[in-house]
Amino acid sequence: MTELDFKHKMAAHCESGTITSLLNFGGLDITEPLVFGISGGIFFGYFHKMKSFAFPTFIVRNKPGQMRVDIEKRLGVKFKTYAFKDPASGMTALDDLIDRKIPTACQVDFFYLDYVPSWERVHINVHFMVVVGRQGTRYLISDAYFPKMVELEATSLQKGRFAGGEMSPKGFLYHLDRIPPEIDMKKAVERGIRKACFNMLKIPIPFLGIRGMRMFSRKILEWPAIARDTEHLSHEIMKINILLEDQGTGGAGFRFIYATFLQQASEILNKSELRDLSAELMLIGDGWREISLFAARIGKNRDLGAEKLKQLSDMIRDRADVEENFFRKLSKTV
Amino acid sequence: MKEKEGFVDCPDQQMILYVEKDDGKYGPIQTGSYLTANYLDDFFLKKKNLESTLRDQLIRGSISVVKYFMVLEDLTLSELAARAAIRKSRVKKHLDPSGFAKVTAAELSRYAGVFNVPLANLLQVVLIKNKEQFEPAMILENRTDHLEVIQDQTENPYVVLTKISERT
Repeated sequence: MTELDFKHKMAAHCESGTITSLLNFGGLDITEPLVFGISGGIFFGYFHKMKSFAFPTFIVRNKPGQMRVDIEKRLGVKFKTYAFKDPASGMTALDDLIDRKIPTACQVDFFYLDYVPSWERVHINVHFMVVVGRQGTRYLISDAYFPKMVELEATSLQKGRFAGGEMSPKGFLYHLDRIPPEIDMKKAVERGIRKACFNMLKIPIPFLGIRGMRMFSRKILEWPAIARDTEHLSHEIMKINILLEDQGTGGAGFRFIYATFLQQASEILNKSELRDLSAELMLIGDGWREISLFAARIGKNRDLGAEKLKQLSDMIRDRADVEENFFRKLSKTV
Repeated sequence: MKEKEGFVDCPDQQMILYVEKDDGKYGPIQTGSYLTANYLDDFFLKKKNLESTLRDQLIRGSISVVKYFMVLEDLTLSELAARAAIRKSRVKKHLDPSGFAKVTAAELSRYAGVFNVPLANLLQVVLIKNKEQFEPAMILENRTDHLEVIQDQTENPYVVLTKISERT
């Protein structure tokens, strides 16, 4: 068995967790909230009609893959990346990296990972994990969503790495190349905060940022007309809980992890106002958590009449209002 | 969120939640999924009902097996076409039984790959009677001689019904 001396650690999110563990392996002492915050990961987007989504949905983080790019830009670290057309070449390249004892991050479709429980398996082409060993046709995987290392057959890994469709992984791999001797953490934190504020407040597209939250609050009232039947509507409403809590967000749609980032940022930048804002965001996150629980409850009870959906819509609009105020204050700190 | 409010007992789905610790610092705790702990039965009920509805439509010949899996796996026409590397217009034809009649073996194989099922399962519906009762014994004790397998035609010319039950 080729196995690396790699410390497995659970993380809130697969992409920030993967980047954090690779940086930690390379000797950089950095937390997942700092990786998330520096990369400007917090976001919101609502997609009412998209060819790749069977039902309206929303996102609570920036574009998949963007965290690595932004972390490179802001910390000056370098990751070496690879993409492949041919699956066989892609698997050989991975084997070669593992044999050279280089922990290597893979982008995969979650659906083909045998170790994932059946109810969690969905087609998402943007799951990240670190391959840290192999023996014969089995690979040892550090997947941030699992308490212990897991194993995966080569056939499943190949299927996951070379799934087609929207944001198809194309066998994408990356590993840490170098960490600069000195990192300007203050500047990186400030740039991350500025980017997050821009994304939430200033993108002039109606379905992104705070505008996206308001669109979500309006459009959710149209969901009953789009759903096949009551059970379908119930499923989609309960997915609000999954997207905010269960799909690797650290709770409340990344609001809790971003609050943690701001608390750590207040120490790095020596700014007490960031500490106050982190406490404020924790409370905002509690409000998102109430939305999650409310959605789960009305979905389970099939209590999906106009009145309940209006209540849900109002709760989302209220989050838009408080977050707009929050990000305006945050933008003035850096 | 306070640390003590964050713990959920759900060993089947663990996750990291960021909370306020007793000393006022924010940080991660390992906890369980609230939704899985409390509502997983509802998820399986809805899935079972959807499977049943789609299976009836498939057996009656009102949809093809491609449509069956596409809806079940929550894929759109565009997404399925891109994943199977088959033209969208062609996938659209494959969604009903008359269009499915023109599917090639190579295309079937691609669909099977996307849906992650054996190719044979695109041409049959497998019904296992009392699955929960006999399946563990069947696997652990290799008691396949105790099984009865019957295949019936359906109204859909491209699907047979494979019924597996324990021989009495």
